Amino acid sequence: MAPILLWLVMVLCLLISVVKYIMGIILKVAFPSTKIKKDYSYQPRVSVLMPCFNEGKTVYETIESISKSKYPSDRFEVIAQDDCSVDDSYEWMLKAQRDFTNIRIRTGKNAVNSGKARTVCNALELSNAEVIISIDSDCIFHEDAITELTACFSEPRVGSVGGRVGVRNPNDSVITAIQAVIYYSAFQLYKVPENWTRSVCCISGCLFAIRRDLLSEIEPAIRARHWFGIPVNQGEDRFLTHQTLLRGYGTYINNDALCWTTVPNNISVLFKQQLRWRRSIVRDFFYTLRTLPQHVWKLHPNTVFTLVLTPLGAIVAFLVVLTMLSSDPLAWAGPLPLVGALGIGAVLTWVIKKYSSREALANPLAFGAYVAWSMVSSLLLTPLALCTMDSADWGTRTKEEPEVPLGNTAH
Amino acid sequence: MATPLINAVAPPPKKKTPDLHALHYKLVINLYRVFAVTILYLVLAGILAYAFVMGFYAINSSWAAPLILSSVDEKSLDFRVKLVTSQQTIEDVKVDAQKMQSGIAEMTKHRAALLELETPLKEAIVREQAHNKANGPQLAALDTQKQADNAKTQQVLAQLKEVESNIHKDLAAGLITKGDAATQLSALNQAQGAYTDSKIAEVLLTDSILQKTTTGTDSLEVLEKQAELRSEAAQLDVAIHIAQKELYEDNRQIDRLRDAIQTAKQSPYYLNAAGGKQLYFAFVPYDNQASAVAGSAIYDCYLNMLVCRKVGTVTQAFPGEEAAIHPIFKTNIRGFLIQMNLDHPESAKSKTVFLDRKPLLF
Repeated sequence: MAPILLWLVMVLCLLISVVKYIMGIILKVAFPSTKIKKDYSYQPRVSVLMPCFNEGKTVYETIESISKSKYPSDRFEVIAQDDCSVDDSYEWMLKAQRDFTNIRIRTGKNAVNSGKARTVCNALELSNAEVIISIDSDCIFHEDAITELTACFSEPRVGSVGGRVGVRNPNDSVITAIQAVIYYSAFQLYKVPENWTRSVCCISGCLFAIRRDLLSEIEPAIRARHWFGIPVNQGEDRFLTHQTLLRGYGTYINNDALCWTTVPNNISVLFKQQLRWRRSIVRDFFYTLRTLPQHVWKLHPNTVFTLVLTPLGAIVAFLVVLTMLSSDPLAWAGPLPLVGALGIGAVLTWVIKKYSSREALANPLAFGAYVAWSMVSSLLLTPLALCTMDSADWGTRTKEEPEVPLGNTAH
Repeated sequence: MATPLINAVAPPPKKKTPDLHALHYKLVINLYRVFAVTILYLVLAGILAYAFVMGFYAINSSWAAPLILSSVDEKSLDFRVKLVTSQQTIEDVKVDAQKMQSGIAEMTKHRAALLELETPLKEAIVREQAHNKANGPQLAALDTQKQADNAKTQQVLAQLKEVESNIHKDLAAGLITKGDAATQLSALNQAQGAYTDSKIAEVLLTDSILQKTTTGTDSLEVLEKQAELRSEAAQLDVAIHIAQKELYEDNRQIDRLRDAIQTAKQSPYYLNAAGGKQLYFAFVPYDNQASAVAGSAIYDCYLNMLVCRKVGTVTQAFPGEEAAIHPIFKTNIRGFLIQMNLDHPESAKSKTVFLDRKPLLF
């Protein structure tokens, strides 16, 4: 009975994923109404909050890219908040503040290392804009990114809007090539059905726009997030999106709002990043389960299915891989998964080359390695995430100071 | 628990009150960490053990997979049925061969009897021909003489009509009595009869001469008989030859079936089906063939590879090829079966045993 149930859930999860990808294609091709009606004349005041921790010169490049934004410069500002970096990140912020005088840049520094989520909240204290855009300090932004994001807020029930995240370094290694394909397909296909119902379950923290009022309403919850007394400073993007939905607002990803991130190019950093994401997914799953009746009552079924089945799929995938390894380990050596991955990779590589040449992959066969990665991630990430829920470590950046109560120093 | 509820705002920290929440959290976190660390080490140990087991079975060349054949095992039953059928066939063919042998003996005897007849028949023919050759001319001379005699007798008989007329005349004249007349007429009839007999004898003689001087139907009949005798002997030759060939084939079939049964008796399935006591077998992949020699020690280990003990020896290796599923990798592999003499029968239920040597020195 148990194995049948396991397989049923697995098939259901897979089916939902496959259906979402297929629906993504159909909606993109046949239903233009899936896209939000954008009003470019709507130009609210915008604060671009940029938390930063040990990014070095990258933070300068990020601010530089924002400074080139076509959004009216008197209608937006950049608030760069340093989370006690131990490198020269703060100096680079100050340099950007001096160099890019065409826009208003404010810099601040936490009194102590506080994590990304609380750093955003600290930066928020300095802002009085109507729309807040939270960005990652290692991304490069398209000049139309802010315009595209704010144009979506013309729909009054849209609370949060995300942009599409592209990969800056797709050809650094096989690992970055895989991520480039996954990022592209996730934004261009997987999230399209969620866009359709204005119920995107996770807007990327790389480029996250939210109404000021809504963020202020959620801010105390962000600050109060903890896991049995241990502050939670990961997965704020998923949390914010989730809270937006629960408060009755819609969420949307505008694929015309572009930013570019540098993805991990070695397995160690990728593993840490994915582990952090998996922890967020698991934490979000537990939260969803605890408040499931409210979710069912308030949210679109599409959202509930995604919120429940995505993490459930990760847990079941772990069990399935474990079962297969113990019962038929060499089944993995069969050519089907590899052929499937190569086929999908080839098609998506062609699509990326045609529609987003900046992310074009040099080696179309690189995606074949996804089979190995999916096994590793299915087998290790979920149990590791479940067993390290108390970890406050960001994972991919060095941190030398312990977390202590919050503080803020503005400049 | 951890994440605040919808619309929840974190309560302001109560600094002076005893922090029961903090204690509770601390307890939960400590328990969680102990649990998590234990789980993670278990997972790590599991992964390492798994990798070790996979590597171990990839390079080990002495493992065998025990299997317990039931007496109602499909192959064993099938074997038994075929064996019974073969034995029955042997018995049938043996009966046929015996019949064939008796037939051949009878035909040989009959042929000999026929051949024995031929010589006296030949001699009789020769003797008769010689006799005819001698008697024929004599009879021909006698026939000529007889014809002359009969001609003379006929002339005499022609005169007898006149005598008879005279007798009637004398009787009518009363010269002779009726009795005398009757006696005289009777004598005349006797003479006539004698003549007729003589003519008959002449004809018969002519026949005899014809028979003795030419090839008559009797001779032809005798020759036909001789030909028939020879033909029958030849047919018997053919029949005996065919029967001998069939007998030879029957005997060969019997030999072949006996060989097949002998081979079958070397099969584990036959032993399993025929033997009264429990026998133990194991599958050995071809890669591990070198270790599967009769008399080799068998080791059974805890956790399929650690802390091994000797549990028996290899009795024999069976020649037939078998296919099996690898106990660890679950792939199809080819190999053969061995019979094990186990001092510890429970080892027959182990996933694997090791032949000839312990796999890890202990």
